[in-house]
Amino acid sequence: MTINDELWDAIVFAERGLVLKIVQAAVDNDEDLVELLNNTMIPALREVGDQFSAGEVFVPEMLASAKAMQAAIDIVGPLLAKTGHKPIAKVCIGSVRGDLHDIGKNLVAIMLRGSGFEVDDLGVNCRVDDFEAAVQRGAEVVCLSALLSTTRDAMRPVADHFRDRDEVKVVVGGAVITQEFADVIGADGFGFDASDAIRAVRECLGLAGTPA
Amino acid sequence: MTPRERVLAAINHEEPDRVPVVIGVSNATGIKMKPYRGIKELIGVKAPDDYIYDWPELGTALIDEDTMRRLHSDVRGVLDLEPETVRQWNKERDPHSDYVDSWGSGQTEIGPDDWYPNVHPLPDATTPADLDAYDDWPDMSDPTRVAHVREAASRLAKENQYAILATPWLLFPFERAHAMQGMDVFLLNMIEHPDFARVLLQRIGDYCKQLMGYFLQELGDNVDIIKIGDDLGTQKSLMISPRMYRNFLKPVHADLIGFIKERTSAKVFFHSDGDVVPLIEDFIEIGVDILNPIQTSAGSMSDLPALKKRFGNNIAFCGGIDTDRVLPLGSVDDVRQEVKRVMQTLGPGGGYMVGAVHTVMNDVPPENVLAMVDAVEEFGHYPLGS
Repeated sequence: MTINDELWDAIVFAERGLVLKIVQAAVDNDEDLVELLNNTMIPALREVGDQFSAGEVFVPEMLASAKAMQAAIDIVGPLLAKTGHKPIAKVCIGSVRGDLHDIGKNLVAIMLRGSGFEVDDLGVNCRVDDFEAAVQRGAEVVCLSALLSTTRDAMRPVADHFRDRDEVKVVVGGAVITQEFADVIGADGFGFDASDAIRAVRECLGLAGTPA
Repeated sequence: MTPRERVLAAINHEEPDRVPVVIGVSNATGIKMKPYRGIKELIGVKAPDDYIYDWPELGTALIDEDTMRRLHSDVRGVLDLEPETVRQWNKERDPHSDYVDSWGSGQTEIGPDDWYPNVHPLPDATTPADLDAYDDWPDMSDPTRVAHVREAASRLAKENQYAILATPWLLFPFERAHAMQGMDVFLLNMIEHPDFARVLLQRIGDYCKQLMGYFLQELGDNVDIIKIGDDLGTQKSLMISPRMYRNFLKPVHADLIGFIKERTSAKVFFHSDGDVVPLIEDFIEIGVDILNPIQTSAGSMSDLPALKKRFGNNIAFCGGIDTDRVLPLGSVDDVRQEVKRVMQTLGPGGGYMVGAVHTVMNDVPPENVLAMVDAVEEFGHYPLGS
């Protein structure tokens, strides 16, 4: 397994210009982009996520690394799609009705994309119908985000809506969400933070929580 | 003991007759309109549905005097106002269009009586020149901001019953930077354009001092507590690293607090949501006297005995009654027991005032608000039991 240490560090330290330069060079040199994504980019961002979970880095550093990762995915993603590289699964994500907060939701979306998922980002203030429409477009997992104690209850009607449909999994997360709340509303998964959300999505699809 | 004496004793780390109650005097110590209506109905008070800061989109009720007494509130508030021109413009605008304040930031309507801070006038600014080019910096010298302050404060001081807690709106430099740029944009700028981020915070800090100066001039000696703050914590830890806080924000907070303390002997009340335990030493160092809201649901903030032991001699606490679970979801008895527990932990020796963790939101049953304040009467008289 080849790891590009320079790219790894550039993602961890959020040097977006350097990330773009290295990734573009890899494209120009016809390097194996799947290997670059799986062996360097994804684990590098996961390291930032783990540092965030451990309280070693904070929101600005996490946002900056995610932005650098997103820029790299914007280059690599379309090229991989062209070569027939299939995403792990399609998932949708949105902040629930009444909630316009999107920083956490965007972080999870970037990490999901970086982890090999196709992400249908529904934005903020999403209603049940918005999630249903995304499922109709092929989403297998519905990810719900809420920052506020006053908006978390808007997760209930979405969880109720998909309750009897085994083929659709509901994963919840956000500042005020707990495992206990996820259990009460009958969600299939709960992500403690952005990094943990990827584990939750993988697990509810029957995949190992952390990719090998 | 008068309510004012009770508050002053507590914040001077002495035991008063009972633990003071701080409710209904600003946004972060306030009550949203829905629970306020419910409380009025429960206690049979007929009073108008007015809003603090004359600002319906904020959604926080201006609590009438009968209700304030029933809530056993030991403080009374003095607030500033947006300039008359801004208030008038907002009254006359299309009622569903964005609310815009005197800085050019504002809120978007997302549902009935529900407004979200979503208007950011400087999302693309990354240089000091971009800030110079912005035409809508607030005019803090507009006299209509503070024209009512002198009379309101002197009336309260003459009555000499309640402690006066004064709060000019959002003199919170970090949160104001979020309002100007969008939170994610500003947080990224702290990494990608750190010199610019410092200049923006400094410039905001200067405007905060300007308004604070006019406000304090009108208050004169008629004030006991000045409230400022900045939300720095999250549910799990800090939003930014302690190093980044010390580097970017602490000097701005220190400057503002120094400015206040040069002009008044009032105590400085600092509001910061989330788990801010790693910064409490810094707050003490720069002159914070009272920390609020003690968000017990957030990380190490839940360890109240440790908070009291580590910091209780050097800073007073206000808040601590959980708005994540206990107040919105708990029974009346759950609320009573929690108030008792928090008072018995933070209250010994003074240095604690009961309050909800942030605004009493629309999901809180009015019965639970009454249960909170009644538990103070029931269990909060000194000496506190164990």
